[in-house]
Amino acid sequence: MSLQELFLKLYDFWSRQGCYLAPSYDLEVGAGTMTPDTFFRVLGKKPWKVAYIQPSRRPTDGRYGENPHRVQKHFQFQVIIKPSPDNIQRIYLDSLTALGINLREHDLRFDEDDWESPTIGAWGVGWQVMLDGLEITQFTYFQQAGGLELYPVSVEITYGLERLEMFLEQKDNIYDLSWSGDVSYRDLRFREEKEFSIYNFEQADTQMLQKSFNAMEKEAQRLINQNLLLPAYDHCLKCSHFFNLLDSRGAISVTERVKLIGQIRSLVNQIARKFVEQEGES
Amino acid sequence: MEFLLELMTEELPSSHVRSALSQLEEKFIQELQSARIGIRSLKTLGTCRRLVVTADLEAGQPDEEEVVTGPPKQVAVQADGTFTASAFGFAKAQGLTVDQLEVIKTAKGEYLGFKRLKKGKPTAEVIQERLPFILSSLSFPKNMRWGEKTFRFSRPIKNLLCLFDGRVIPLEFEGLESSNLTYGHFIHAPEPLRVLGFEDYLHLLREHFVLIDPEERKQIILKQFGEKLSLLKAEVYPDEGLLTRLLWNVEFPLVIMGGFPEKYLELPLEVLSTAMREGQKLFSVVKDKKQLPYFLGIADAPSDPRGFIASGNERVLKARLEDARFFWGNDLKTRLSDRVPLLNSVVFQEKLGSYAEKVERLQKLVAYLADRLELRNEKKDLIEAARLCKADLLTDMVREFPELQGKMGGLYSRQQGWSETVSRAIYEHYLPVSLDDPVPESMAGAVLSIADKIDTIVGVFGVGISISGSSDPFGLRRYGLAICKIVMEKKFHISLQRLLDKAISLVADRINMSEAELKKACLEFFEGRVRYILEKQGYSYDLINAALGPGIEFLEQTTARIKALSELKQSKNFEQFILMVKRIKNILKEPPRARLNSALLKEKEEKELYSALKIIKKNVEGMLARGDFSSAQRMIFRLQAPLNSFFDRVLVMAEDRKIRNNRLALLNQILALTNEMADYSHIVVESESR
Repeated sequence: MSLQELFLKLYDFWSRQGCYLAPSYDLEVGAGTMTPDTFFRVLGKKPWKVAYIQPSRRPTDGRYGENPHRVQKHFQFQVIIKPSPDNIQRIYLDSLTALGINLREHDLRFDEDDWESPTIGAWGVGWQVMLDGLEITQFTYFQQAGGLELYPVSVEITYGLERLEMFLEQKDNIYDLSWSGDVSYRDLRFREEKEFSIYNFEQADTQMLQKSFNAMEKEAQRLINQNLLLPAYDHCLKCSHFFNLLDSRGAISVTERVKLIGQIRSLVNQIARKFVEQEGES
Repeated sequence: MEFLLELMTEELPSSHVRSALSQLEEKFIQELQSARIGIRSLKTLGTCRRLVVTADLEAGQPDEEEVVTGPPKQVAVQADGTFTASAFGFAKAQGLTVDQLEVIKTAKGEYLGFKRLKKGKPTAEVIQERLPFILSSLSFPKNMRWGEKTFRFSRPIKNLLCLFDGRVIPLEFEGLESSNLTYGHFIHAPEPLRVLGFEDYLHLLREHFVLIDPEERKQIILKQFGEKLSLLKAEVYPDEGLLTRLLWNVEFPLVIMGGFPEKYLELPLEVLSTAMREGQKLFSVVKDKKQLPYFLGIADAPSDPRGFIASGNERVLKARLEDARFFWGNDLKTRLSDRVPLLNSVVFQEKLGSYAEKVERLQKLVAYLADRLELRNEKKDLIEAARLCKADLLTDMVREFPELQGKMGGLYSRQQGWSETVSRAIYEHYLPVSLDDPVPESMAGAVLSIADKIDTIVGVFGVGISISGSSDPFGLRRYGLAICKIVMEKKFHISLQRLLDKAISLVADRINMSEAELKKACLEFFEGRVRYILEKQGYSYDLINAALGPGIEFLEQTTARIKALSELKQSKNFEQFILMVKRIKNILKEPPRARLNSALLKEKEEKELYSALKIIKKNVEGMLARGDFSSAQRMIFRLQAPLNSFFDRVLVMAEDRKIRNNRLALLNQILALTNEMADYSHIVVESESR
């Protein structure tokens, strides 16, 4: 099964579970959790079911295309269901079966792994799902986001698509994966990994990034004051990306790290609070 | 009669299962006892998906005679013995006739009333009432909510089986209806199973790939470890923590074995075993303490029919080892000493500055300790180790596997040619990580460990961070315990007071309180740690208070002191002596107003007491200086005879004020001497507690 077929099968499975299939978000994010389709929708009381593929950028994970497992951009398949259904673990197991995995021939484990994102004031409780020792999914019951207690609770299922595909193809090297019949992961991604690793680690202009961070932060605050919460949130995502780039350039000390993350979180928390208030009004 | 409870959940963390089971056992026993239900036996079992209690209980509460009192006798019975209207009213309300009433004597007086037999409640009814309370009172380090529920638990709850004597005890708990159903292994036999009783439950689960008894799972794992390794004549690199954790994570354990390319064997065992343990939770295989290119893992499956489990784990491990090998090679390219200046940019704590500054302080602290402990040969190496000990924080390996901090510094420094003393000290300086962890083997490691921890303790307290309850962000309690443990086990003769003075002087420019205030806080903190250690060792609180009476300047003496006390507690003089000390302390509630003047000693008994005191004091002081607390205590006991005669024949509270004060001063000297040994007045003796 190629990566492309994996996408299709997961889309198919989760759309049959009643999920709305969202397009990938068009900003740089570190994880599928960061996009508005998750962040805003887990707040408040309205039910929500969504599934989407999200390219996720983690500049410090880049390895110039030389490491067979680590890349600075990977793809996540993100599912959010609110409220979390009672049989959600069973549904998840069914999704693996739908991929043609015969679970009785493998060792599948839900291994304690709570999740936390200080940047968006969020945390949850759950597991990393291990299949024959390989982490293929993060499974989380969201408890808090934007600094707010969540009720009802959403469940988030995040498949690491490359990991899962390496398992399905029994490959040791990410670049050997087949994207579609005759296009490999290497064909599509190798040059990108190499160039972005150079950019992330060596070339990114830290002064420009620092300035951009400050500008985006200021803009986000201005937009919050204008009650333009979705645009404000976009600017927080940009802050977060600039922060990640600064980090990969080694330009952030430990104390500064705490300070910058705190700045973003404070914006995000304001957005969450206002959003819930306004949703309550309507 | 047989009771069986099974609460199924989504996968609980291993530590949560263990804690929940011990809470369940405790709470069940408590509730059943308070309900007067006899318990013949009770035990808990479980996996990460099931909390199980099984018990053999009496069928119900015993019947009980109940006394029902009505109106006072005065009101209900007239002088001639006839009943009043109030007696008739009471009898009628109770469905009785007046001649069935009798006079009942109570503490408040005589009443008219009657006795009746109260039927005990059936056990099932008691459990039905109390089980929801027991289950919802389970506490976990971290709780969650799910779906639209407000109820909190460690993980979502799925199913409740509750049987007494083969019948379902009907009850509802947070949306679950109790039944006689359970489910088999979540992948291999997820179907519902109808349970008749405990034996049936065990049997059904076993057939459906669940072994509910943790001990059985452990034995199976150990047996399969042995089978896998017998051909290699190798052993599992022991990791009790990992084994315990996995034991609860699987319902049907299967040991799998895999290998990895030999080229990774160039990595040290610490790195290999960490790479295996973290993430994949695999065990290393060793022979003669050397790593072999194999690993063992524990799967939750009846078999690995196509070898996918082993080969999948092999593939993942290879990727991790490849990373580790890259880090090892890359890290070695930079000498540790070249990393030291870069510690300037690594913050230790905002107000305490960088690790570079910490390392400066550590060099001074180890020099001080080396002088105190007369470690002339090691002093130079110790200072070098202190300089280098945090440099590994900047290596790729420690960034990837933070738990290897210290160890990597030790391994890299050895590879890069530093002396064995230096690399050993660095390697061991985080030890002991917990109270059960061994202390550093080497002297240099022990000294560096103490220096590192005392610096953190005084610094963190000094900038105004305090610990309370569960809030201890720097793990200061753990550090405090580690220092006590090292000093006690290594029998280091170091004055805690002076060590604190030294450590505090090094952070003096950073702290926001007076040095005296900080020292007081630190001493209180250490007293708490010593108390905790002694409690863990099983000493009773009164002995601990007594042993801590003279202060905790030399920690290694506190242990010797309490040991001596506890030995002597068995001796027959002990109790009399303690009572005597308490008597003296009582008499001396107000301190004497004069110093002892031997010329004023008049009676034979007080003269004898004084001369005994002089001799005993001299002996005791010598013994204390040698740290021989047993002999010192025995010596102090010799005061008893002259004290007895003194109290028998001499009136302390003499009319003459001078004489009285002089006698009080004599007693005061005796108390002062006993206080040097222990504050005996804390000790509870039997004749008092009766």
